[in-house]
Amino acid sequence: MKKIMLLLVSTFFCCGIMAQTHPLNGVITDDFQHPLAGLNVKLINTGFFAVSDSSGKFNFQLPNGKYELMVNAIGFQSVKRNIVIDGKAVYLVLKLTIHSQLLNEVTVKSKAIDERRRQESLNVEVVRTDFIQQHLGGSLMNTLQRLPGIKTIGIGSGQSKPLIRGLGFNRVVVVDKGIKHEGQQWGADHGLEIDQFAAEEVELIKGAASFVYGSDAIGGAINIKAPVLPAPNSFGGELNLIGKTNNALYGTSVRLFKRKERLFFDGRFTYQNYGDYRVPTDSLYVYDFAVGLHKNHLRNTAGRETGIHFNTGYITSKFKTLFYLSNTYSKSGFFANAHGLEPRRVNAEVHDASSRDILMPYQQVIHFKLINKNSWIVKRHNIELEFGYQHNFRQEYNHYVNHGYMPPVYPNAMNIPIDLEREFDKKVYALNAKDQITLGKHQLQIGINGELQNNVINGWSFLVPAFKQKGLGAYAYDKLKLNDKVLLHAAIRYDVAQINLLRYTDWFFSETENGSRGKLVRANNLIRNFNSFVWSAGINYNVDQFEFKANIGKSFRIPIAKELGANGVNYHYFSYEKGNPNLNPEQSYQADFAIGLNTEKWTVKLSPFFNYFPNYIYLNPTSAHDYFYGAGNQVFEYAQSEVLRYGGEIQVKYQFAHQWSAEVLAEYLYAQQLSGDKKGYTLPFSPPASALVNLTYAPQKLVGSSATYFSLDYRITAEQLNIVPPERKTAGYSLFNLQAGTKIQISNRPLHISAQLQNVFNTKYLNHTSFYRLIGLPEQGRNLVLSVKLPFNFNRQ
Amino acid sequence: MKTKQLLIALLTVATVFSACKKDTEEIDTEYPSIDLTGSAFPQQCAIIKKGEKFIFKATLNDNVELGSVSVDVHHNFDHHSHSTEVNDCNLGAVKQPVNPFLLIKDFPVPSGLKTYDIAQEIIVPANIDAGDYHFLIRLTDKTGWQTLKGISIKIN
Repeated sequence: MKKIMLLLVSTFFCCGIMAQTHPLNGVITDDFQHPLAGLNVKLINTGFFAVSDSSGKFNFQLPNGKYELMVNAIGFQSVKRNIVIDGKAVYLVLKLTIHSQLLNEVTVKSKAIDERRRQESLNVEVVRTDFIQQHLGGSLMNTLQRLPGIKTIGIGSGQSKPLIRGLGFNRVVVVDKGIKHEGQQWGADHGLEIDQFAAEEVELIKGAASFVYGSDAIGGAINIKAPVLPAPNSFGGELNLIGKTNNALYGTSVRLFKRKERLFFDGRFTYQNYGDYRVPTDSLYVYDFAVGLHKNHLRNTAGRETGIHFNTGYITSKFKTLFYLSNTYSKSGFFANAHGLEPRRVNAEVHDASSRDILMPYQQVIHFKLINKNSWIVKRHNIELEFGYQHNFRQEYNHYVNHGYMPPVYPNAMNIPIDLEREFDKKVYALNAKDQITLGKHQLQIGINGELQNNVINGWSFLVPAFKQKGLGAYAYDKLKLNDKVLLHAAIRYDVAQINLLRYTDWFFSETENGSRGKLVRANNLIRNFNSFVWSAGINYNVDQFEFKANIGKSFRIPIAKELGANGVNYHYFSYEKGNPNLNPEQSYQADFAIGLNTEKWTVKLSPFFNYFPNYIYLNPTSAHDYFYGAGNQVFEYAQSEVLRYGGEIQVKYQFAHQWSAEVLAEYLYAQQLSGDKKGYTLPFSPPASALVNLTYAPQKLVGSSATYFSLDYRITAEQLNIVPPERKTAGYSLFNLQAGTKIQISNRPLHISAQLQNVFNTKYLNHTSFYRLIGLPEQGRNLVLSVKLPFNFNRQ
Repeated sequence: MKTKQLLIALLTVATVFSACKKDTEEIDTEYPSIDLTGSAFPQQCAIIKKGEKFIFKATLNDNVELGSVSVDVHHNFDHHSHSTEVNDCNLGAVKQPVNPFLLIKDFPVPSGLKTYDIAQEIIVPANIDAGDYHFLIRLTDKTGWQTLKGISIKIN
């Protein structure tokens, strides 16, 4: 088997280029100009076929002659066209009409998603606006954690980061409109700066995705697609309103778009305002000290968020240039009675006066993004060029506390504001270029990614030095359609990167090792160069209802500034974190499989994976305390160890009646360190096994409404006994969530209404991967979420 | 035919899965403990005199092997933080520190011990500010589990 794989892979790049062929390019849309992805385009009696991509595009390379092209898609009327290739390129626009009004759009869409899954050798999950609206959580990542294998590391009700099969932080890449999203990925106490109302389609890739996304895509990638372009000669928009009872959230998101033939604009504004969230307890213990909670509110966890988006561009059939401008802002408080592990004394009266105010400590994050995306179709080439600029600016405000050797009274002469504990200021310039070439049965993709980063720090507390970083990577990826059943994939990638840490000296005097007092140098100038070669190979085997995929690949991650150069006390954890300037790029080998069966009634998918790291970078809590640099705190050292991980997901869906379906989504993960100081232990933030059982009743049409559904989720989470310092064992729990939604027509406009009741029984439970787990804060209690969406159109057809 | 292929594929997966048997090696998942009962000193709300010395006494326990212990005495004139204990002692009024007492000290724990009675002399200088202080004890075990105990004390 291995030999056959090798043989197949080795024959990959010698592509049989056909003599004298001409491109036949096309795009498939529905009646509303939405591109239809994953559809099979056949040339009858030739054996040639293509599959439309995410923008509905497909292409062939054909010798001169007459052809009969056919598109068959479930839910649409099939289309046949006669085509003559006569020495010239041919461009086609195919508009498919839904053939039965009874079929709802959701089924049609999920069919396209299924087709797309069949073309990828990695495990891919795709969700769209309807899923996001149905399962709307506190943040986009929170919403996505319904999917098996996806969890989050979060703090509070509005901030969370993705965990794909237990890997998170800098081991997951988030791509927003083609550009890698760069924030402060390393920290557990802040979220991802993404506006979930602006996300129309999100693709989640579980597995070794470094060959396309570069460093960091070890655990996988979350690809937030650019919104679909407005249809020609359209002028409309959308209004979203949202409310949540648990944290008294209210919010809105308004979109307005207009397009002539070639020029368009598309703008969106989102605002959310929420209060302290409530937990199913009126008192909790910070260590042994009892803290009373006023009306079950977790003090000072309120927040505000805004998102401003403006997109514009110019489109012709061969060339497109698009600009995406966005700015997200968020301000949110941290639980006042304990900052990290540190118990804090608060003036309860001041805090409890309002559940909406944001007092100290709090964080404020601004993320600005400008992206320009260009694409050309030139003969058999589909060229894309993207430029991105991002500015991430995060500040953490806190009352000055003289930890360790810091002076008891904050000096007047300081330039740093007295309340500014930490500030991270990141500017990132990115460039991506990609060419997709169709060569007979081969679809070859070559590309480069470049990135420049400048990171500046401020604040009276020190954790990570300022740094500059640059990286450049080049890759080639070939997809070979061997026949109707077999698709082969192979990819290689090479990266170079440089990271340049800058010197940092304390602003205060400490006792030093030689007994005198001095200002400690916490980081020295350091330049490290890295390079990495990664590869990936995969196969898809699809026969009728059966699908099989396998992928094996190597991924990498260059050490981040914190891992190389941290040298300060993280008072939130009472840890003295010590970087290691000699770390090597982390490498990972992963094998992924998926077996699926799709019949009218049954959908079954089993997706196991195996993963091995020869040198996982791990923050190891040691038994030592450091008296000088660590001001008496426990030493946490960055080290590298061998790690083995395996696990998988099972998805079973059974449509047992026309309007009734049941679904089980389960996941399991096991991780073990095979070497180093914590040999035998797991990795931090390992999600426990869990299963979600769903029952859905979708009568569709119900007293004048359409797309009506009622859905019950029962999630069982196992206990997590596999822990590593400083974690605590977490008990298992089970939760019920209810969802319901419908679409009603108001003067010919569809009004989408969705409701959710989360944590129906107000269950008190701890989430093993939450930031607040270590101090034992329970998760959010019962929460009713209501959202409505009203699309509108100014030029009626 | 198709069912056969599916079966073979499922069997392969099952075989690979079962090939990875779990390591049954025992790992330490227990935190060390700081026992401040009996003759231990200082205890919650203890009063310590300026210009005098006292003996820090506690019993340290771990199920496998103790690591190290560190003591941090710092002022709480600003009421920034409360102790880890059940009661909060009656705090004095908030005041501006002038020359607060600060002590950050590591004490060695002999290696190989599961239980250790620590008794270390601590000198409180005479020229420091009187008032509310925190006495923070950090204890690790060999594996890296850390237990904190934050006690409120008064220095008069």
